[in-house]
Amino acid sequence: MTFLLQTTLLARRRILETLRQPIWVFMGLSVPLMYLALFAPLLKPLAGGPGFPGGSVLDVFVPGILALMAFGSGMGAGWIVIGELESGVIERLRVTPASRLALVLGTILRDVLMFVVPAVLVLVVATPFGFHPHWAGLAILLGLLALLTAACSAASAALGITLKQIGSLAAVVTGLQLPLTLLAGVLLPLSLGPGWLQGLAHVNPMYYAVEAARDLAAGNLASATVAEGFGVMGAAALLAIWWSTRAYRRAMA
Amino acid sequence: MGTGSVTPAGGGPPPGSVVVGPTWQPGAACAVRVTGLRKAFPGKGGRVEALRGVDLSVPAGEIYGFLGPNGAGKTTALRILTTLLRADAGEVVVAGLDVGSHPAAVRRRIGYVGQRGGADIEATGRENLVLQGRLYGMGRHETERRADELIELLDLGSFCRRIARTYSGGQRRRLEVALGIVHRPDVLFLDEPTLGLDPQNRANLWDQLRRLRDTGTTVLLTTHYLDEADQLSDRVAIIDHGLVVAEGPPEDLRGRYPAGVTITPRPGFADLATVTAELGREPLVREARIDGETIRVDLDSATTGMAAIFDLLRARGVEVQGVSLREPSLDDVFLHETGRSLRDAGPAATEAIAS
Repeated sequence: MTFLLQTTLLARRRILETLRQPIWVFMGLSVPLMYLALFAPLLKPLAGGPGFPGGSVLDVFVPGILALMAFGSGMGAGWIVIGELESGVIERLRVTPASRLALVLGTILRDVLMFVVPAVLVLVVATPFGFHPHWAGLAILLGLLALLTAACSAASAALGITLKQIGSLAAVVTGLQLPLTLLAGVLLPLSLGPGWLQGLAHVNPMYYAVEAARDLAAGNLASATVAEGFGVMGAAALLAIWWSTRAYRRAMA
Repeated sequence: MGTGSVTPAGGGPPPGSVVVGPTWQPGAACAVRVTGLRKAFPGKGGRVEALRGVDLSVPAGEIYGFLGPNGAGKTTALRILTTLLRADAGEVVVAGLDVGSHPAAVRRRIGYVGQRGGADIEATGRENLVLQGRLYGMGRHETERRADELIELLDLGSFCRRIARTYSGGQRRRLEVALGIVHRPDVLFLDEPTLGLDPQNRANLWDQLRRLRDTGTTVLLTTHYLDEADQLSDRVAIIDHGLVVAEGPPEDLRGRYPAGVTITPRPGFADLATVTAELGREPLVREARIDGETIRVDLDSATTGMAAIFDLLRARGVEVQGVSLREPSLDDVFLHETGRSLRDAGPAATEAIAS
């Protein structure tokens, strides 16, 4: 009970903090729309070709963009955490009896919200342009990608507390971003690539999320790929939350 | 530790010093008790020992100051007392609970105001207070009432509905102190609370801490300001290189060192030597010596000693051109115990604060 209350209070604090900086909300919404407007048209000629079985290219492209958004929404957490280490906020919270897990979950809930709201907007905007929504599948898809956001958010916060410096965090996150997202096939399906690339992708947890997301968007709710996606993302989220909670417990500013 | 009188490391108080009786007796309520506290950090060229066996007792209901130069170990000690850091060895009991084995219970009874404050700058002062209260498990209405009370107590009314990012240094510090006492802790810890404050805000904060003490809260603060330790604190532990080198009420600590009086007779006064020798035989005079055209006298007590000096000078017909008095300060204590002046033992003196 106390734990749930603390989590709610801390999530509310985070959401207020975000809403008071409208630039974040604006950027969160504008980036995915720019992908749709400026990148999706490049895919048009590929329709019906390998990797784009029938229908609209958007049916393949949108789940990938959503995964990219889920990744980006979570990865910002570390920056905020470093700011809070420097301003003494983490120290202040660590002297209160607040649950360390609640501290981690408060941030995660905000990040999930900051993923879900723009994601729904992207789905709504993409539909008149030829995206075929399977709403049940999309609801489950958002749940799956929320796990990806949670894993990224917790990992980023843990990295922030551990590295303590914005520069180091930026280097690690940007260093991970390209291989993680490209090897998940967020922009173009990896089935277009050579075998070694597809093999390499299998060690990337995010790959399973993207594959499952494409299945869900196509309406294949009960596929083995979907189960695999949830298994891998659930495990990644749990592991990252455990890591982050441990980091909060030991944080030294 | 615990008798109130202090034995300097060099063995025995200076001859003739007056050891004033302790203000606190063993057995009285004790807010913090530390025994054999040790902590080392990995550093270049091996482990750096930040605390090397600290013993101290903080009586309940007093303002207690940790005085020492940067890097002395004050902040490390404070972080261990507030559950932020685990000790390598030693026993730490805060508000009757062992910090190592019951950190969660200790957290409910203590408040902490860190060096870097820690208010949410994107929230208003009031929102900060309400969140803090609720995290301590206070009910919604109780927290609202308490927030109003603190806004009144710390005079936050004119700005508590603004975003904290817009606050001045003094305003922010007041909010941070309010955050530290939302849940009415038994012991409030503050790390360098007046660092960076202007003199007026500093004086205000002192008053507020005294008021807090008067309502029964034990206040433990670190400082490297001599006057803060001397005038604000009821008791002081002088810390250097991870050890407590002296401990007690500041007036007792100072009282063990002489006040220095410099007398400048009118030019041409011939019998400097005789008068100086006579001054040296006065009961409260520890030492009198000639220094050029002046006489320097070390007094055990400035208040009573000065009168005796003037009586003698008048009786001998010495016309005095000028007199200056230098009262002993905690810096004399530090100098005697460590061989360095606290003013010189600056940031570069030792390892950085454990951070």
